[in-house]
Amino acid sequence: MSEVSAGREAEAAEIASLLERIREGDREAFMTVTRLYQRKVFVLAYSILRDREDALDAVQETFLRLYQKCGLYRPGSSFQGWLLQMAKNISIDHYRKNRRKRQDWETARPLEEIPAAGPSPDGDSAASDLRQAFARSVDTLAERQKMVFVMRHYNELQFNEISETMKISIGTAKSLHFKAVQNLRKRLAPVLGIEL
Amino acid sequence: MDEYAGKGPGSRAEIAAVERLLRETETVRSEIRKAADSVDWDALPGLIADRALAAEGPKARLAPAPRPLAWLAAFRMRPALAGLAAGLVVGAAAMYFAVKAPESRSGRDDAYFASGEFLDSAEREMARRNTVDYLEKSQFMLLDMFEPAGGEGPVAAAALRSERARDLLQKKKYLNTQLGTFQMAKAKALCDQIEMLFLELSQVDDELTAAELERIRALIEDRQIFLKINLVKKELQSGV
Repeated sequence: MSEVSAGREAEAAEIASLLERIREGDREAFMTVTRLYQRKVFVLAYSILRDREDALDAVQETFLRLYQKCGLYRPGSSFQGWLLQMAKNISIDHYRKNRRKRQDWETARPLEEIPAAGPSPDGDSAASDLRQAFARSVDTLAERQKMVFVMRHYNELQFNEISETMKISIGTAKSLHFKAVQNLRKRLAPVLGIEL
Repeated sequence: MDEYAGKGPGSRAEIAAVERLLRETETVRSEIRKAADSVDWDALPGLIADRALAAEGPKARLAPAPRPLAWLAAFRMRPALAGLAAGLVVGAAAMYFAVKAPESRSGRDDAYFASGEFLDSAEREMARRNTVDYLEKSQFMLLDMFEPAGGEGPVAAAALRSERARDLLQKKKYLNTQLGTFQMAKAKALCDQIEMLFLELSQVDDELTAAELERIRALIEDRQIFLKINLVKKELQSGV
């Protein structure tokens, strides 16, 4: 048995024991699990919601749901995948609920109005425009492409972790990522000053 | 990627574009990091735990310890619970019928709403069937006139024939409206001819004389009543 897989098994056993204690109402065990995963959940929620307070709400809701539904976790499967899946669903729900607020932000300035990249006397402003265009383009990707892109680049998850979280094959995760990058390239071509 | 870049300037440009694109992810990552750094991660687990414990906890924790003979109490309560449940169901059903019935009845009427066009076609179909039925009965009645004398022949069954003729005349009265409404001219003309024959037959309560019988037979044959009945029946049955 390799060291990596032995390490994973020990981690899984530790998580299983913590979850068992949470089921019995152990506050410390619950806080330990929260401490271990809160940052990862926040990054995913923030990537989707792009708002600190909304992301924090999603983090709280995710762990509250974990507390209530920890009995539903199947030992042997990836706990992180299961938790992030829950976080993803909660964040998407939040996103849909706050669509109006988001639409205001999205329609604040049409993509075409953002100047193309190039030498600019005001370097900071150009960078900010590009960042805005980039964020908006990620937001307009198809949901699965967006999720894979966000998990890969913002959460820095490996494709096998993404596939566990999204319940898709590794091949599908890679293909969705490729499509996401292609679409972003197409959408940002005028802003990045590249030819298609 | 290096291998792909070596394929030509187009490939190199594409890689440069993708690299530039992915560099942007670093910008967003740093934005996320900045947001994450502003969170008090040490305090958050305690806050969430407080909220979780304040809300309803997992069932296993809240379930009371099993008491000895607890099942007996449940057993004793079962009839009462069943009675309560049945009462609720019956009460709810009664309330439903008392309060909601008129509304649901009107809803049912709506559910059976039929268009005028549909009703017209249904009535036309009814008229068609009634006419076919009338023609068939008339045909049997007229065929009797050609039965040889003796037994239940035309002479012996004079009273019965007269009664049947009156029945068919009644039926024809009802049919007149339908034939007029749906413009079944051919069928109406034929039924009128048959009606005339029945009118004569209904007035003869006594036995028909051979001469009268012969006259009626001649009328039927001259007017080709059987042929016409068959043709009209066929037309009506095929829905023309």
